[in-house]
Amino acid sequence: MDPQALDQLREIVGDEYISTRKDVLLSYSSSASTGYDSQMPAAVVRPASTQEVSEIVKVANKFKIPVIPRSGGSSLQGEVIPSPESLVIDLLRLEEIKLYKDLRSVTVGAGVTFGALDKFLKVHDLWVPVSPESALVCTVAGNVAVNGAGPGSSRYGCVGELVLGLEVVLPDGRVINTGSEANPHAPGPFLRYAFGPDLTGLFIGSLGSLGIITKVSIKTFRRMHHFYYDTYGFPDMPSVERFLIELKQNEVHPLFASIYEGRILQFFMDMLGEEYGIPKHQWPPLTVSMTLGRMRDDLLQSDIRMVKKICEEIDGHVIGISELPRGEWEDRMRVFVRSSYVHGWHWRILYHHQTPANWHKSVDAIWEIMDKHGLLGHTAGFLSGHSSYNFYPHLYFFPDDPEEEQKVRAAHKELSRLLLKSGAVPFKLSQYWTDGLAEMKPYLELIRIIKDRLDPNGIMHPEVLPIPEE
Amino acid sequence: MPTIDMEELIEELMQCRRCGICRNAVYDDMGFDGVCPIWRNSTGFEPDFMRGKIIIALALLSGELEKTAENVKALFQCTLCGNCTEICAASFDPKEAMETVRYVLNDAPNPVRDTLAKRVIDTNTPYEEGQEIKQNWLNELDFEVPNQSDVVYFVGCTAATKLHQIPIATAKILQAANVEFAVMENEPCCGSVLLRTGRADEAEENALTVAESIKSTGAKRVVVSCAGCLKTLRKDYAEKFGIEMPEIVHIVEFAQKLIESGDLNLKPLENSTKVTYHDPCHMGRELNVYDAPRSILESIPNLELVEMHPNRAQALCCGAGGGLRSYDSELAKKIAAERVRHAETLDVSALTSACPFCELNFVSGSKKEESEIEVLDIVELLSRCL
Repeated sequence: MDPQALDQLREIVGDEYISTRKDVLLSYSSSASTGYDSQMPAAVVRPASTQEVSEIVKVANKFKIPVIPRSGGSSLQGEVIPSPESLVIDLLRLEEIKLYKDLRSVTVGAGVTFGALDKFLKVHDLWVPVSPESALVCTVAGNVAVNGAGPGSSRYGCVGELVLGLEVVLPDGRVINTGSEANPHAPGPFLRYAFGPDLTGLFIGSLGSLGIITKVSIKTFRRMHHFYYDTYGFPDMPSVERFLIELKQNEVHPLFASIYEGRILQFFMDMLGEEYGIPKHQWPPLTVSMTLGRMRDDLLQSDIRMVKKICEEIDGHVIGISELPRGEWEDRMRVFVRSSYVHGWHWRILYHHQTPANWHKSVDAIWEIMDKHGLLGHTAGFLSGHSSYNFYPHLYFFPDDPEEEQKVRAAHKELSRLLLKSGAVPFKLSQYWTDGLAEMKPYLELIRIIKDRLDPNGIMHPEVLPIPEE
Repeated sequence: MPTIDMEELIEELMQCRRCGICRNAVYDDMGFDGVCPIWRNSTGFEPDFMRGKIIIALALLSGELEKTAENVKALFQCTLCGNCTEICAASFDPKEAMETVRYVLNDAPNPVRDTLAKRVIDTNTPYEEGQEIKQNWLNELDFEVPNQSDVVYFVGCTAATKLHQIPIATAKILQAANVEFAVMENEPCCGSVLLRTGRADEAEENALTVAESIKSTGAKRVVVSCAGCLKTLRKDYAEKFGIEMPEIVHIVEFAQKLIESGDLNLKPLENSTKVTYHDPCHMGRELNVYDAPRSILESIPNLELVEMHPNRAQALCCGAGGGLRSYDSELAKKIAAERVRHAETLDVSALTSACPFCELNFVSGSKKEESEIEVLDIVELLSRCL
């Protein structure tokens, strides 16, 4: 990196918070994305404020240095892997939290994790009801940048649907606020759709390629204290899919609902069954594990009755084993980290959404790919909003088997094509979806135009989006 | 030290999937309010917590990173407190793996480690004050202590050299309970610092000498007042070196039994006192000794115990362990100062612990914070009630 640029960065953050040491750079060359190649950046900075982020980006722009924003480093699909000769901006020092109780919202700095926010809000008997399953590591801003989802999404949708506004450092260093806070006289975040186009939405899922999210303003809700956990059995895919659709059609919105195929459920039981105290059971071909949550017990009881009725009307039965959904819900802030670790492999993952009616299409695609390539893996997911179902298929490899890893990469790419054809949609764009996007040329061109106008020097996380050449 | 299987070690380190939960997880339901004391009190780059340390360890082992003083810094800037192990979901123990990596890379430059090792080997103590002053505290007792007995009080280098009030209080407690005990004439260092800093071969040699010396006293039970000595003599000697030792108990475990049996009677403290207790990592996370110290404090009349958060298995480290106090004393003191700040929020008059090494570092942290909280070992409080 240009020594003049380094000097200027040093002046901004101070000597302590910039590093070009090889060991430090190496530790920023990867993330939790185990199936991706590492790449060392040229430097790392740890700014303490939005102002510092802005000044850093101005320097990067002047010297045309690629910039990689990073916070928790827990993303699984290569979202924070640096570009060569890049500058990583570690945002974890931005840890302000400001509650707007009457506006039912909270603003958090880019370094605030869901776990820390949850502890803060608990004191006020509030919560943000959606969190990723890596909530103890993942920051709210990072999750908004990837458009994540998690427990709570079955009722409240993806995290983006809770966002009221953002503070973003643009590629030229200007700082903007979106939503109601675009008006400097506004009392705080209370409306996302203010001032015309939804600029908040432009940055959700943009992976830091259009700007760096330095603050997120997000809705808060009264914390629920009434929960009900149960499992529901179904004989086949059409009935289980119908079950999820009918729940939503009847305004029953579980906090968290997952479909398990028998063989996947067994895999899960091997990993966590004993620890969650799940009794041995002859599980049906398809099981729905569900957490219902409501503010009032009478509402909860009504939901319980309605779920049972819907289930039984479509050939299902109430299994009555509560330990599985209870374990998933109560351990929700780290269940992903935990269940992924138990089996011991590294993996490539392919997050996407399907409709509940198309649930079987993703499952079929994943099994087809695993069988074809002779790979191990699994898929699980959860109802993720108004009418979507989130999938996170894993393809496994042993880290010391490069041949197997290459097979997984090829299978991963093929799976992405199959999934797109089946009607699935990813949370965000990425290189591995590119092959299947030929029919979306105008859409991708618009993204390129936006990117080019906002970032003419192409410094903001330049490799993370699959933007077609002009 | 058993031969290290390098393939196995690397496989262990590869169990880390880099999720980063070991950085600063706040998980209220499980009592975690942060994890790595180094990350919280340093500039907070990735090498400042276990995920980055493991990446660096793998690179050093593979030769991708050269073994320079700068490149190995992350390995030694770690208190080996084990809070990362407590929260890690992977099927390996990151703290143990790091200790093994230090051993495998013990030819990497680290003058501080080398000085400590030389002192222990040459003078039986890691402190420059030397072995000869380790019995000076006995002069402050008004009774004689023999060199042979069924019960031997193994004082430990830190208490014997830096904190005389601890062995004096311990001796008074034992005497008050009519326990006949001895102190070794030339008490060796337990070797904890050798093990933690990667000098396991020297630690094994030292351990054999220590075991032999203790045996020569005729001890059936060894009482320690240092959490580091406790872990080393009770756990490491057996597990790492296969050395059979007599029963090793910490004075708080012993005193708890003496109080329960009625052999040790406590008078009320003169003034009503509110204190908090810090769990030493070597006693808590390593050996699950959480209740004995609390039970003792709660049995002292006129004393109220309030808990710091986090505590017990999720407690944050005092900052002194793993050789950090010598390797980077400023960082160690900053970590201690943070824990002192935690104690201050409870409006207590004293921060107690059961480890001289913790106490020593808390005194430094307290000075740094200009705190008025008294830093005490539990035995000091107990001895005020005799």
